[in-house]
Amino acid sequence: MTNPAFRTSLGIRHLVCGSCNGCEHEMNALSNAYYDITRDGWSLVASPRHADVVTVTGPMTAAMRSAAAETVEAVPAPRVIVAIGDCAAGAGPWAEAPAAGEGAGVDLGAAIFVYGCPPTPDAIRAGLEAAGDVLSRGDEPARSVQIGTPAWPAAAADPEATSSI
Amino acid sequence: MSGQFHRLDADEFERRMVAECESGVPLGAYASLEGLHYLFLGSYGAFSLERSHLEGRAARAFSARFPLLSWDEREMHDEWDVRFTDLPDSRPLRARDGEMPAALLATGSGLMHMVVGPVHAGIIEPGRFTFSSGGETVVHLDAQLSYSHRGVEQRLVGAGALEAAPYVARICGGCSASRSLAYAQALEKLAGIELDRAVEFARLVVVELERVYNHLADLAASASGAGWGPGFARGMALKERAMRACQLATGHRLLFDAIVPGGIGPNTLLDRSPLRNELRELGRAAEGYMQSLFGNASVVARWKRAGSVSRQMAHAFGAVGPAERAAGGKVDVRAFAPYGAYRELGVDAASAVNGDAFARCAVKRDEIRESLRLIDEVLSRLGDARLEAPEVVRATFGSAIGVVEGARGAETVAVHVDERGRLTRLHVISASYRNWPIVARAMDGNIVPDFPLVNKSFNLCYACADR
Repeated sequence: MTNPAFRTSLGIRHLVCGSCNGCEHEMNALSNAYYDITRDGWSLVASPRHADVVTVTGPMTAAMRSAAAETVEAVPAPRVIVAIGDCAAGAGPWAEAPAAGEGAGVDLGAAIFVYGCPPTPDAIRAGLEAAGDVLSRGDEPARSVQIGTPAWPAAAADPEATSSI
Repeated sequence: MSGQFHRLDADEFERRMVAECESGVPLGAYASLEGLHYLFLGSYGAFSLERSHLEGRAARAFSARFPLLSWDEREMHDEWDVRFTDLPDSRPLRARDGEMPAALLATGSGLMHMVVGPVHAGIIEPGRFTFSSGGETVVHLDAQLSYSHRGVEQRLVGAGALEAAPYVARICGGCSASRSLAYAQALEKLAGIELDRAVEFARLVVVELERVYNHLADLAASASGAGWGPGFARGMALKERAMRACQLATGHRLLFDAIVPGGIGPNTLLDRSPLRNELRELGRAAEGYMQSLFGNASVVARWKRAGSVSRQMAHAFGAVGPAERAAGGKVDVRAFAPYGAYRELGVDAASAVNGDAFARCAVKRDEIRESLRLIDEVLSRLGDARLEAPEVVRATFGSAIGVVEGARGAETVAVHVDERGRLTRLHVISASYRNWPIVARAMDGNIVPDFPLVNKSFNLCYACADR
């Protein structure tokens, strides 16, 4: 079933799974006057029942695992999961930390991965556009969509300084 | 050793602890392989009163008398096997195997319970809030966090102290720069190096920018909490402008890696003249915004008396930063124990007396003005001065503590390093960790629908509290 209306009417539910909140600062920026996603017909919705897209951040923590799975399960089909940031893709600093997993997007089966630490609001917008395309076509993409490249590991301090240890 | 750690025998420890908890400035406590450390702020910076491990013997908890240490001692009890016998709240601090301990409820005739979280309706970090209320009036709020606990401290044990710096910058996005500075301070103390004056100036610009974008977001959210949509929209637009100024100043919208051990990152303050102009314009726009916000009678009416914290309560529960200063407190680390460029530039610490949402917003408003003044002054003094590449930091054996005034208060980082420059223990005490218990107490006697407003007037992070 194809339905182009998804592109201009996305309901977005955000789910934080152990993010450092850097990605949340940029998700919040989508609603400010500079990026204003309501112009695209998109809205951040308060209930998973109203959502078409779930944006997820963080490496996934042990404490969030069951609540995150229940939240995604509460979103009616068709739904698309968009992993926001390097952590959610399992490429961030806390992947496999003692109480963390391999990335919320990996864990929850994201179709779209937006890289960055954190990704810019424009990159997140591109990820949401891709989600709108997936929903409009009505078919599961054969492989996940990747937007941007990982920003982690960060360029460390002056290599000269690190050579002393 | 950095000379910040004072190992004491049991009697002397007890005596000093009581004196410092009563009339000093407590920062928090933690256990390491070396012993139990209770940290305080003196006029020359942080210091630790330290006693040896109890080797399985039972010990009295200081939090029985000084509740501000409750979270710290529960953490020591849960994760370091320190056997406190009289913890006022003996539940595990964090979720275990995905299970959160039962919430603490107030019970009685006519009381009801409402559980919110860990997943919230907005773009908010996870936490579980259990309200016990009689009708609209909150009798007790239990705030249980730790859903963002990743085990960052354990993850970094064994890491090279310098290689760990970009990880430390990513424990929490909203206070990244302040924590990077506290971490750098600790390593620089160990290495015994002093930085170039211009580099200290540059660091001041970075951490003050962090305060500005955070406080603007807090004012916007507090306008939203009072139901004024335009105040939220304008405030968030100004926050965006501040984040763009951060990009201009450091190449990163959230200032990640702009401060590194030994100095500043390679992209910090390369082109200062456009930054200074933009920040002056931002200052004028912010001034207009704040005038309209504080001139809005219905916003002010909602803010006043919402989430009041008395000075006694702030002290007993260990409030820091704007939460402490809004309740009549006076501790701003920049003025109390000046470090870096603050030794040269005085800070006019903001304060208020009522301890309510209005007072916290007023303190943040005054701090935005003061931060922009400091940045402008520093950029003027810096001129075209060349900024040195980072000093070579030799991470040597020892322990040290860094503490800086972040947007939410004292950001403390303690490091223990072995002979090969590797971390044997890293402990982070964030201003949010200190202030969360106060948020819960600030709700006593308030109505449930004011929780978003009261919460946003503190606007704490979860990531650095959970670690």
